[in-house]
Amino acid sequence: MDDNMILHVKDLNISIPLHEGLLTPVRGVNFDMKKGETVGLVGESGCGKSLTCRAILAINEKKCKTSGNILYNSDEKGEIDLLTMDPRGKDIRAIRGKEISMIFQEPMVAFSPLYTIGNQITEATLLHITKDKKKAKEISLDVMKKVGIANAEKRYNQYPHEFSGGMLQRAMISMALVCNPKILIADEPTTALDVTIQAQILELMKEMQKDFNMGILFITHDLGVVAKMCDRVNVMYLGKIVESGTTEKIYEDPEHPYTRGLMGSVHKIGQKKTERLFSIEGTVPLAMNLPRACGFYERCDARIEGLCDRAEPELVEVAPEHSVACFACPHPACKAQRAAAEEMIRREDGR
Amino acid sequence: MNDEKTKETGGFFEGIASFFRRDLVSYIIKRILAIFPSLLLISFVIFVVIQLPPGDYVSAYIAKLTGQGEQMPPEVIEQLRADFDLDKPFMLQYWSWIKGIIWTPSNTTWYRLYGSHHNWKYSFSEGKPVWTVIREYLPLTVGLTLAVMIFQYLVSIPLAVYSATHQYSLGDYLLSFIGFIGAAVPGFILAIICMILAYKWTGNPLVGLFSKEMLENGVHWGNIGEFLKRLIIPFIVLGLGGTCGTIRSIRAQMLDEISQPYTLTARAKGVSETKIIWKYCFRAAINPTVTGLGTSLSHLFSGSTVSAMVLNIMIMGPVLYDALLSQDMYLAGAIVMVQAFLVEVGILLADIGLAFLDPRIRFSGGSR
Repeated sequence: MDDNMILHVKDLNISIPLHEGLLTPVRGVNFDMKKGETVGLVGESGCGKSLTCRAILAINEKKCKTSGNILYNSDEKGEIDLLTMDPRGKDIRAIRGKEISMIFQEPMVAFSPLYTIGNQITEATLLHITKDKKKAKEISLDVMKKVGIANAEKRYNQYPHEFSGGMLQRAMISMALVCNPKILIADEPTTALDVTIQAQILELMKEMQKDFNMGILFITHDLGVVAKMCDRVNVMYLGKIVESGTTEKIYEDPEHPYTRGLMGSVHKIGQKKTERLFSIEGTVPLAMNLPRACGFYERCDARIEGLCDRAEPELVEVAPEHSVACFACPHPACKAQRAAAEEMIRREDGR
Repeated sequence: MNDEKTKETGGFFEGIASFFRRDLVSYIIKRILAIFPSLLLISFVIFVVIQLPPGDYVSAYIAKLTGQGEQMPPEVIEQLRADFDLDKPFMLQYWSWIKGIIWTPSNTTWYRLYGSHHNWKYSFSEGKPVWTVIREYLPLTVGLTLAVMIFQYLVSIPLAVYSATHQYSLGDYLLSFIGFIGAAVPGFILAIICMILAYKWTGNPLVGLFSKEMLENGVHWGNIGEFLKRLIIPFIVLGLGGTCGTIRSIRAQMLDEISQPYTLTARAKGVSETKIIWKYCFRAAINPTVTGLGTSLSHLFSGSTVSAMVLNIMIMGPVLYDALLSQDMYLAGAIVMVQAFLVEVGILLADIGLAFLDPRIRFSGGSR
């Protein structure tokens, strides 16, 4: 792995055996992250983005079967594959919270109601930095102040129910940052907050990213947030990345019909009141017993009958730092893929 | 390894010092003071309920004598009723009862006879002051009840946590199976089965807690083995139902807590599974069990009456049963009062426990 890289997710598959059959919520996800950059993972609910980011820390439920590689470039140990580690073992626990940490969607339930905020923040410090309780508390208080928790000494001894949602998210960020991680995974960190608080939290995360020089993996379904935060974006649909590229490219020149649909369903300033907000028809299919077809086929307005329902497009590079997985895309690389798929279908039919 | 274990589970008690510094003392005092008015109310209800069945001790006694062919002159009967205050109106009876319990002055016959300021009256059937009767049975009852309760939690908590952390494993299924059977089989049937088995295997049905020898000489080092052997069946019979219930309830609660988002947060922080289970999940999961502490105390106290009678263990349950049958109202009333008091104490302890476990129910009554 390139020295500049810090995380490389390679062919990540997650499946969950259920009574009804095998659920495959994540099917061959590839993406990478450079040091200090913000990578977005965008998609509808149920597209597998949360499972993907939890797989990095190996904190998915036991019933989730994971395969592929998650390569992490550690300063001390060099390149390690997080997926080969025992999910309950000491080695991965030393990485969780210290080198890669995570903040969650709903701060109100992500803290245990039974312990003080200070206790829960300092727990990480005590685990990873120092065994000295006084020192650990000092470190925690420092970070709490840094993320803008006023009156930190008093707040330290308060319980989650005495905090507001925004303050709790600040506390959670301080808990994630207290060990100075290299990567911060943010799983929809602002979804449960109201809009003004959202902006503050995003601002705070950007600031902290500069101070701590860490990479952020930002999971969201909010394209506005992505535009504000991310250097590069991966658009996920039905367990696969369908388009990936720099934020500018994705916003200026979305190639995948799903990305275009997502862009279209964002409310724009100047839009007439009478205009209906665009929405993509239909719902995400259940990731079970999927046919060999493009996952977006049913809902796609650019689908090619006889092709998109018979073959599944792979991500191909259409420009530097921009890849898309679609047969209908007019780019030469996509056309080549389309020709190959058509050839394959013809051969199948001929037999 | 051992060191690490204690360190990991140690998180459970974090905050205990600050908790006891807070307003706990004033809270406990307030709660203790609140016990007395509620006991007064309870005493009235008890008295009403005990008086509800038609007749009284004297009429039951006369009926018994008549059944044996003896005749009582009516004036003797009247005299008896007057002796026991039974001829007075209901409210006066209650007043004289409760007044005697609260304070009996030194110039009364009672005080001269027994040297006590608390007159619980006589038990008709035992022919002794009620308190003497209660003192005979109370230590054994409370001792046995507490021992069974501790046994119950010692057994059920580890099993429940195992069951929850190994959901749908063979062990979990096995425990669930045993748990349902244990919760469903009535104690007295289990008692009979146990005694039959004990008789078959050892030639001794192990009836009662004490052998004849123990009743004469008390329990000492020489017969402690025999005494412990005699404890086995009562523990199983009295404890099994509660143990199974506790396993079910803690298991369900644990499963609920294990799937809470905060376990994910803790895991993402690098906290070990053992610590997640004990520090976070378990502390939250025992909440309903602690709530039930007060009532489970009372359940053991009176719910095991039939089993205790089958096992021939003379604890309060059977004594209360006899007293109610013979309309020995002062004895019955006193036993129920004692029980009510113990339940109040149990509930107080449960509330203190809850407040310690969960900061959201700490009790400053809106002052903070």
